[in-house]
Amino acid sequence: MAAAAQSFNGNVKAKLLLLYFRIPVAIQLILYFDSMQKALAGLRRINLEGLRWRVFDAKGQVLGRLASQISTVVQGKDKPTYAPNRDDGDMCIVLNAKDLCVTGRKLTDKFYRWHTGQKQYNLIIIKRDFIHWRIKLASSSKGKTAILKSGIAGSKALEQEILILLPEKSLARVGLYLFCRYVGNLKERSLKDQMAKDPTEVIRKAVLRMLPRNKLRDDRDRKLRIFAGSEHPFHDRPIEPYVMPPRQVREMRPRARRAMIRAQKKAEQQEQGTTHARRGKKREEGDLEAN
Amino acid sequence: MNKKEVFKLAKGFRGRAKNCIRIARERVEKALQYSYRDRRNKKRDMRSLWIERINAGTRLHGVNYGNFMHGLMTENIQLNRKVLSELSMHEPYSFKALVDVSHNAFPGNKKVVPPKKEGLSILV
Repeated sequence: MAAAAQSFNGNVKAKLLLLYFRIPVAIQLILYFDSMQKALAGLRRINLEGLRWRVFDAKGQVLGRLASQISTVVQGKDKPTYAPNRDDGDMCIVLNAKDLCVTGRKLTDKFYRWHTGQKQYNLIIIKRDFIHWRIKLASSSKGKTAILKSGIAGSKALEQEILILLPEKSLARVGLYLFCRYVGNLKERSLKDQMAKDPTEVIRKAVLRMLPRNKLRDDRDRKLRIFAGSEHPFHDRPIEPYVMPPRQVREMRPRARRAMIRAQKKAEQQEQGTTHARRGKKREEGDLEAN
Repeated sequence: MNKKEVFKLAKGFRGRAKNCIRIARERVEKALQYSYRDRRNKKRDMRSLWIERINAGTRLHGVNYGNFMHGLMTENIQLNRKVLSELSMHEPYSFKALVDVSHNAFPGNKKVVPPKKEGLSILV
């Protein structure tokens, strides 16, 4: 709170205004504080001897290219003493995750997908028109099938459901049946929603998916600390900023270039005060261009 | 191989493979096959590890592995990758000298300008 007050100008008016805005600022500070505390967790597990602390600024960087550089640093592949069996990567701090850029239509068209719900099978032995035994089998996602036995007093709703599905005649019902309870679902979230929800997850997923899938992957994940803003709690550590290697940016495609020139001309005309009632194409400047 | 030899080779195996002869015999045969194959694979793996280390070392000086090696070949320096990786790990100044030699011999391609596409540039 005091820090927030000091960071503003020593203007009396500003301080009075700050008193009114203190509560939302407090909430913001608390939210940042939460992620700070989370960022400090797990540091004891890492052997920090001789590792550098590299700071990546994600402002204006393209997502995949930044993630590729981060993954090489986190693996320790930029050191000549690299060994594939031990994890020697530097600690990576990524700032300004919310200012990440992507090219093309990825803001709306890139989806993060995951599967939910696991199928639960029920093995049912029916004898003489009621459920005699019900054996619950879980899906073998973790490699083990849990087998529980429940007698006739199983859940009534399930029994009713199952008895409805079976053929009508009582003799035909007798036998062994296998029923599947839940349907697995595919859920997806677009990049735009994910950035609104948690921009750090975007970079984390990108980097994690670029690391080799071995036993060191989780340790390397622990070395990554990502922050949405530009505040981080590691000021007392020896920090080095990371300079991105020079990159050859592709020249703009002709259609995109023409559209950009049109937008520029329109902006100039608006500045000069000539008001036209026409509406041009909407362009979001920073997010969709390759520069 | 008699049983005694098989069990001697099956030390450290998992489960019944170290104790029961039928299973141990299978696993030991497989282990010997793997070791035959991996004696050849080890040479490949080590070379690729040397190349990774050399790559990391040269990139610290702004040169990548390909250009570095090309420069060394032009200068007819016949140090092999094993030695070069050891130098890059333990003798940084000597390695820097080598990188400079290679860079003088082959500075790398200049930034390649993509060819201008005639037709569309007229419209812009």
